[in-house]
Amino acid sequence: MKSLRKFSLVLALYIALAISGSLSLFFHRFFLIGNATNLLVPVSMMLIALFDDTNHKEIWLAFGTGIVSDIYFLGIIGVYTISLPIICWLLQKTARFLPEVFWARILAVLTASILIEGYTWLIMNITGLTIISSMKLVKSILPTLCWAFIFASVTYKLWWNLAVNYPFMVNIDNYQQ
Amino acid sequence: MKKFLQNKKLLSACIAVILAFTIIGGSVGLRNRRDTPLIIQSFGNDVVAVGSRIIDFPLSFVSGSLNNVHDLLNTQDENNYLKSKVTDLEQTKARNSSLEDENKQLKSALKVKNTLTDYNIIQASVISRSPDSWTDLLVINKGTTSGLRKNMAVMSGGGIIGRLIEVNAATAKVELITTSDKSANRFAVEAQAVNGKKVHGIITVIGNKTLAFTQAVDSEKLKRGAKIYTSGLGGNSPKGLLVGTISTTTHDTFGLSDLIKINPAGELNDPSVVSVIKRKVND
Repeated sequence: MKSLRKFSLVLALYIALAISGSLSLFFHRFFLIGNATNLLVPVSMMLIALFDDTNHKEIWLAFGTGIVSDIYFLGIIGVYTISLPIICWLLQKTARFLPEVFWARILAVLTASILIEGYTWLIMNITGLTIISSMKLVKSILPTLCWAFIFASVTYKLWWNLAVNYPFMVNIDNYQQ
Repeated sequence: MKKFLQNKKLLSACIAVILAFTIIGGSVGLRNRRDTPLIIQSFGNDVVAVGSRIIDFPLSFVSGSLNNVHDLLNTQDENNYLKSKVTDLEQTKARNSSLEDENKQLKSALKVKNTLTDYNIIQASVISRSPDSWTDLLVINKGTTSGLRKNMAVMSGGGIIGRLIEVNAATAKVELITTSDKSANRFAVEAQAVNGKKVHGIITVIGNKTLAFTQAVDSEKLKRGAKIYTSGLGGNSPKGLLVGTISTTTHDTFGLSDLIKINPAGELNDPSVVSVIKRKVND
């Protein structure tokens, strides 16, 4: 059972994925204000990357989360499958220079959220899955950031606890003795 | 060129970008072409759906309570409206029943089996929604095991809300009628003109998720308030499903063709339960 602890983040992200879909469904009216995007899963992945910046295996976790998110929510592979590992890698690099305080990390998460939103918009328009004007994208950024801030603030402690105590594919007992 | 090929980082980045676009293009093509998704994709969808169903239970309770408060505030208006409809309803039901019997008798006399208006209904619950408000995708808790197939029409709140675009074993994805997806399969519809003739066209999306009745020949004969139904001529949906009512009839920005905007009849914002329409007539 102890060996399964290194997969705790996988289970937590699976639950986050399910919650994300349910929140989008039941609170759709709220997300519709300003056409905000529910970035619960990307924000979770960003926080994990910031908290455990030395664990390179988390890029694979981001890749897996991206694939599952893509096939479950969009039915195509390439939106989160590509953006999550890149964002994860970027944030891990940034985390080395970033002060380990709440506001600095939140700022990094919000900046990365803008990148994800922009990338999603670009891919959607290129593939023709949706035709959204650039003006709509600009208008949706502020509401999306508000939601990203809420998600990051609410789940901050949880992801910190999980990433530090149960890092992905790392047997923490080797370091605690 | 030699310098470029020797720069391993640049070369890797280029290969990664090409690979990424190939994967995206391939998966979009696959989604549009295949009737059922790949087994691994179907399995992944159904596994996440299990989690969604568990999470949905407490969330639906909270959301249901909020909706109840909202409904309570609208009770008086709704009550007045329903009272005015009750007297008509009984009469309509009786007439509908007798017409159905007559229709059956006529069909058997003419030895006609199934027509475009015949369909079965499969009820399903919505368990998830895409996280961005751009894609207009819902996930429902029925799939191929319940007899669902790609491109079946989906209704909620008394009108059409979309079409199935991906059907897994235990779940399916519904693309809403308001989607701006270029490859979306549009509904073939008809409406009754002022001269009593039927006007045929298709439903398209213009601007900010606004539905429009397009490609109609005698569109100037359609008036505000006319009901739009599916014509059954598209090959996937049966005839006679309500799509919406005409809200405005204007000209396009060039002033050349008519622009007929539609108020959708279905519940597009908060569809918790949907009906999947299975056409009896084969394609």
